[in-house]
Amino acid sequence: MSVMDVLQHSELFLELTPEQIERIAALGREAIYDAGDIIISEGGRSDEVYVICNGMVEVEVAQGTVHDVPGVPQLSSIVRLGQGQMFGEMALVDSGTRSATVRCAQDGTVLFAIPHIDFWDLFESDYQIGFIVMRNIAADLSFKLRHRNLQTRLAGGGA
Amino acid sequence: MIYKVSYVIIGRSHPGEIVNMDTPPRVGDQIQLGDELFEIIEVVDLIPPRGEFAYLHATCKPVENES
Repeated sequence: MSVMDVLQHSELFLELTPEQIERIAALGREAIYDAGDIIISEGGRSDEVYVICNGMVEVEVAQGTVHDVPGVPQLSSIVRLGQGQMFGEMALVDSGTRSATVRCAQDGTVLFAIPHIDFWDLFESDYQIGFIVMRNIAADLSFKLRHRNLQTRLAGGGA
Repeated sequence: MIYKVSYVIIGRSHPGEIVNMDTPPRVGDQIQLGDELFEIIEVVDLIPPRGEFAYLHATCKPVENES
């Protein structure tokens, strides 16, 4: 499946026309990672949003209060994301630093990376694309929150 | 239809997965998440479908090694 095929079936681009998706695809680049590679680091500068075209990544957060823990932080995995999922979207929305570390979990994982600044320029020049993409990002963040809520509820249910 | 599935694991420390599937998960199916095999014990619609996407949650438990 080509990158364009994956993007056309990614929730990030749901309800966009093929022409609109092509405009977004022209902004990005492909990147390939192997298992164990760090793609983004918690607390780091954020300038791209990613769509997983193929493979798997693991999202990890540091345990404890970051400033109170000397040395390398202990990372705890919170979710694994597969083909079609996105990450890096929180920083696109709020311009904050990276909220989690994302590590590649499978050799040959293919990502499509879109620079935040180019995405925002496109949104401001085409409000319809901007509205649809931001709604899709909100829906994805909501889905991830529901996943986390279920994890917490089921873990607390005597699992 | 694309089935966006939230897999949550009980009975073991595991972060779960969010993946797009071509077919919906069903109770009793076994699924490999990472290097481990799990059995699906519950499937629910998480939110209403939108466009070509259906949104599901599946609770899974580790498959016991019978050897």
